Amino acid sequence: MTKPVMQASSAVLAANASPAPRGALTNRRYALELRQQMAWPKQALILAISLAIGFGLSAAILVAAGVPAGELLNEFVLHTLFDLQSLQAVLFQAAPMILVGLAAAMAFRARFWNLGLEGQMIWGAIGATAVSFFDTGPPALRLPLMLCMAITFGLLWALAPALLKLRLGVNEIISSLMLNYIAGNFLLHLVYGAWKDPKDSFPYSPQFRSFERLPEWFGSTGPAAIALALAVTALAWWFVGISRAGLYLRFVDANPRMAHAVGVPVRRMVLSAVLLSGALSGIAGFVVVAGQEGRLTQAFYAGYGVSGILIAFLARNNPLAASVVALLVAALFVAGRNLQVFYQIPFSMVQLIQAIVVICVASSDFFIRHRIRAVASKAG
Amino acid sequence: MDAFAIATNWLGNAPDFAVPYALAALGLILTERSGVLSLGAEGLMLVGALVGIGAQLSFGQPGIALMLAMLAASLVSVLFAVMVIVLRVNQVIAGLALVFFCQGLTSLLGTLLGWTNRGVESFAALPLGPLASLPLVGRLFAQNIVVYLTLPIFVAVVWYLTRTSAGLRLRAVGENPQAADAAGISVTAWRFAAVLAGAALVGLAGAYISVVSTKLWIAGMSGGRGWIAVGLVIFARWSPWKALAGAVLFGCIEALIPQLAAAGVQLPQYFVLMTPYAVTLAVMVWVALARRSSDGEPGALGRPYLREERT
Repeated sequence: MTKPVMQASSAVLAANASPAPRGALTNRRYALELRQQMAWPKQALILAISLAIGFGLSAAILVAAGVPAGELLNEFVLHTLFDLQSLQAVLFQAAPMILVGLAAAMAFRARFWNLGLEGQMIWGAIGATAVSFFDTGPPALRLPLMLCMAITFGLLWALAPALLKLRLGVNEIISSLMLNYIAGNFLLHLVYGAWKDPKDSFPYSPQFRSFERLPEWFGSTGPAAIALALAVTALAWWFVGISRAGLYLRFVDANPRMAHAVGVPVRRMVLSAVLLSGALSGIAGFVVVAGQEGRLTQAFYAGYGVSGILIAFLARNNPLAASVVALLVAALFVAGRNLQVFYQIPFSMVQLIQAIVVICVASSDFFIRHRIRAVASKAG
Repeated sequence: MDAFAIATNWLGNAPDFAVPYALAALGLILTERSGVLSLGAEGLMLVGALVGIGAQLSFGQPGIALMLAMLAASLVSVLFAVMVIVLRVNQVIAGLALVFFCQGLTSLLGTLLGWTNRGVESFAALPLGPLASLPLVGRLFAQNIVVYLTLPIFVAVVWYLTRTSAGLRLRAVGENPQAADAAGISVTAWRFAAVLAGAALVGLAGAYISVVSTKLWIAGMSGGRGWIAVGLVIFARWSPWKALAGAVLFGCIEALIPQLAAAGVQLPQYFVLMTPYAVTLAVMVWVALARRSSDGEPGALGRPYLREERT
């Protein structure tokens, strides 16, 4: 705790040493200090202000793009959350969102920038679809088999950047992104080629049979998908908060070299966190094809990579917070689709709003981690 | 088509594909030599590409369009500079946020302004006298003006970085900001300048794709080239000439794809489209195998600087 004091005194010394500035406002120097800690109500206030700025800017852009200002609240809050059909759509959308958010959070916890969420999702979906396409296994075991294949494929696609990083030090940001593009093209190869539905000319696989789709509860596959996502959230929460591996991961996140020095198997922890991340993305892919689309389509993964990173970042890699943020992002997606229908606003608006929120929240961290102190200098 | 014509076309088209990689990598090197990790290239290229097309549709002067595209990319990069230099945001998060922001913004504006899929006129090929009528390599000397200008731009940036005191200051800020600060060099100012100047070159690369090469705008048209450029810079160990060599390699590979199709080689289309990404992955692995140390990497890359902070 002596560090801030020393910094403050050195800043004062620096201020005293400088020639006396003129004028009332310039009569002080501003010193930047690192803050050790900030009380949580203050942190919450700063977060709330930054979110307000982010949503304010987004609202301004929406109005500029042609949404009547008076309709914003109606469109975004009332229509999305209080309309039964929209609410169902939000819950429907939330399941894969929660899963990709968790996937990103797991990798980020090990300080591994897994930007390959979309690629791993694609392979998860391909794995699940392969079970259906090749008609493997008895109908009763079909769904669990698809889930297992999705987990395996997603995990294996995450293995490559993890091994490249751990063995050779290859930058995982670039490698995982390149693997996304490769997976995306392979998906196109399948849906335009061998796996194309022979019934019509659209680029998608044949429709799954009823026992290959998530069960319908209350007339929709949404509840089953949400239940799966929440179960995974609970597991992730146990893993992060209670299990020994979760504790190790916190060591690795705080200081990998120190963790290694005290005997934490750092490389094994990083590898398992990334593989877990890939597996979760794979499940997300499974949920989209088996729950929403009912078949493999060419662009089912669009927007999930960005959303996963956003969710993990806003939730500070916390699994429970991630599921809440994911719900909000899902609401944003549904609202974005409504805007597209009613006001012809391109769907890219959703990504713009997401980016603005990330920028505002990331920038607000500055005020949590630093203190700006006016240091009075000796007035001349 | 016979092999000779295919080779001629291939060599003739390669520079057109190489220029965006080369310019973007050069811009990234300029920024990263000052110690700022720049992951936003993919987004800044899109900004350059959209503004370039917009300006070309409005004014019809490709030179002005490229200039405006550079200016726009610089302007957008101010946002990134403030985030990483002033507010000390994690540079990976800031770079990703910039890419997401630019992807959303350009795709939105391109649709709202109706600039999507509208073809433009652009620079004509400038044959270099008798060189252009040489067999086989002749088409190499019948390129547009930007291709010719790329080489002087590289020479200028290399000269600036290695032969001027300003370039030395910029590198000092990237290698050891504490020492540079002690020597009276403003870390903040130099990093700001490096981010803006680098962004201008990346914007130029983007505008080249839309205005000069493709001659139209499609949302997300940079298609990962910005990320490949980031990989290229790592591959080149932050050396401009090696980056140029890498860009030429990528240009040759991309130019080969349509020629193979013309030659009647039957390859699965989507596997062919994977090649640039697979090759990027391969060269990253190769460079990691060949050299395990981090030589060439600016010493303070990715680390924000605060005078009061001990490192």
